[in-house]
Amino acid sequence: MSSGARPGAEAAVRERIPDVETLTRRLGEADYLADEGLATALFFAIGLPQPLLLEGEAGVGKTEAAKALATLLDTPLIRVQCYEGIDASEVLYEWNYPRQLLRIRLAETDRGGLAEEQLFGDDYLIRRPLLRAIEHPGPRPAVLLIDELDRADDDFEAFLLELLAEASLTIPELGTITASHPPIVILTSNRTRDLHDALKRRCLYHWIDYPSAEREAEIVRRRVPGAPAELAADVAAAVRNLRREEIQKAPGIAEAIDWVAALRLLGVQRLDADAAGRTLGAVLKYREDQDLVRERGLEYLAVGDGD
Amino acid sequence: MATEPRGRLAPAEVPALAAAFGRAVHDAGLPCSPERSVRFAQALCLAQPRTRDRLYWTARTVFVSSREHLTEFDRVFAMVFDGLVDPSGPRGDRTAQASADAERRQRASQTGAPALDGSQPEPDRPSRGVSSGGGVPDPDAPERETAVPVAGWDERLADNDFGALSPEELEELARLMRTLEVATPLRRTRRARRHRHGERLDVRATLRHSRRTGGDPVRRVRRRRRLERRSLVVLCDISGSMEPYARAFLQFLHGAVVAADAEAFVFATRLTRLTLALRGAQPQVAISRAADATPDWSGGTRIGLALQHFNDRYGRRGMARGAVVVIVSDGWERGDPELVRREMERLRRLAYRVVWVNPRKAARDFVPRAGGMVAALPSCDAFVGGNTLSALAEVIDEIGARR
Repeated sequence: MSSGARPGAEAAVRERIPDVETLTRRLGEADYLADEGLATALFFAIGLPQPLLLEGEAGVGKTEAAKALATLLDTPLIRVQCYEGIDASEVLYEWNYPRQLLRIRLAETDRGGLAEEQLFGDDYLIRRPLLRAIEHPGPRPAVLLIDELDRADDDFEAFLLELLAEASLTIPELGTITASHPPIVILTSNRTRDLHDALKRRCLYHWIDYPSAEREAEIVRRRVPGAPAELAADVAAAVRNLRREEIQKAPGIAEAIDWVAALRLLGVQRLDADAAGRTLGAVLKYREDQDLVRERGLEYLAVGDGD
Repeated sequence: MATEPRGRLAPAEVPALAAAFGRAVHDAGLPCSPERSVRFAQALCLAQPRTRDRLYWTARTVFVSSREHLTEFDRVFAMVFDGLVDPSGPRGDRTAQASADAERRQRASQTGAPALDGSQPEPDRPSRGVSSGGGVPDPDAPERETAVPVAGWDERLADNDFGALSPEELEELARLMRTLEVATPLRRTRRARRHRHGERLDVRATLRHSRRTGGDPVRRVRRRRRLERRSLVVLCDISGSMEPYARAFLQFLHGAVVAADAEAFVFATRLTRLTLALRGAQPQVAISRAADATPDWSGGTRIGLALQHFNDRYGRRGMARGAVVVIVSDGWERGDPELVRREMERLRRLAYRVVWVNPRKAARDFVPRAGGMVAALPSCDAFVGGNTLSALAEVIDEIGARR
């Protein structure tokens, strides 16, 4: 249980990512620009290894971080999207009952007999994400993303905790399956409720803030191929201004990317009041927010370097 | 691993450093177990931080597990690593903290903040002369009574305005409040439980059972959607005009948090979340802890701003969705009533029901004239007084009411 028992990252992973600088560079190559804080946190998630809990406003790139990590490690990303009422049979495994029954019926008709092992073999096991993450054959561990954990019930949280600590699970009919390459675990939460302290204690934690305007412009440019650099900078500055406003749903990086994509589709080179007005729906998703901004005058969005 | 000799931590220093810093974090009141210090030591060995920045992020990733702790953590980090304080020195911070607390308390009592820990005398108030003892219900009686709460209560206490109670009566009141049962209405969840008379057939379970009977589904398994209580959020005004009621309603908040797992907030000029402070402690301890966590006792009222803050930070994220939201306030708004109106509309769209408790409502010829109150009323599902114990029963009825 204690973190002291962990042997550290596998050699194959250490080789790929010897230090934080390498990780930052490789994340950049996977088109994910991480700042010092996030890179350090991810480095420890891989290196200690320890589950990493990422929190931050919606759309700051929590999920993307896990995707980029999987890309640069060249391993599959296995994702569990949490929701209210999610339970073990939806994330671990389930037997394929209809198929088993059919097999039984078939055995009855051709009188061939049927060994129990046949019924509880691989063919009849439906593998859900957590089992797949634990069974992952390597050569490097899979990245397991548990998205929006705050949406799941708290008993699911406890179940998950136990599973992650052991990195093994028992199927009564098959026996215990222990991970040969324990997955790298990233959890995300939007803070709709407090996660349990026991979970937090076992996880590393990082709060992702909005990036600086320059970094955001760079992120946007990478995500929208062919977007003019000036347009990306304009949008990054405008979005930054919007976040300072009394707005119900401040735009995240995802919205900035959508916005630039929308503007590019219209063939806009620089952000002006007219273009902003036509594409406002890509950034502001509440009528009240749009009204507020239109009242203030769209020009101030177009000012670009508003600092 | 790349080995670079310059500026490396000597391996022997690492455990001591990690332990000392862990202790400093712990002393500052952040949750920190030795386990974290161990993890910090591992992280230090792994990352070999050579810059202050890298060291900062290393420590922060390991020690912080909530955004709320960041400020305090930054302070401790600066204190220890920017050389302001020797980490191996005595745990001297305690006394400094204590004297600061004492100073703050003194300041608070000068500005007329209510004495919430019960240790300081209340300002003189004409006592209504209820001797504690006579007619008081047996404290050993079952704590949760579902009957109409007024039964068996001291009648004078039941109908006295909270604002006119003496400190002893308040103590008594705290005990009586524990007999109130706060419960929100039920709602169906997505999740189903196995149930003998459920409305849905559990196909998988039925098939699983049918293997015992040679593949014929003899026994049918049914499921029924699970019922769950809606969540409860209480926002309590503690500004100057609400001061006479503050202590009584804080008791109520505590009761709601403990009994109904409610989320509790107080506001005057700003919004403070008290759920964690009120949870899991003796009422007196919890309430003095809550008082310490609240910076703006008896300040001016900014209902609109507080509601906006609540909606943005908590409500929209899910805390208020489908919940019963109770607001305790007299509606005196110093800011713009327009903001109150707008935020109340937002809140109403999120919540299942919004109940407004105004202790001034009981006054004869009460007409809602306060700007904030007028603006808020159209968005309230219920408007009740709640200024006496028996009136509080009405509040509880409203909390449990269906839409």
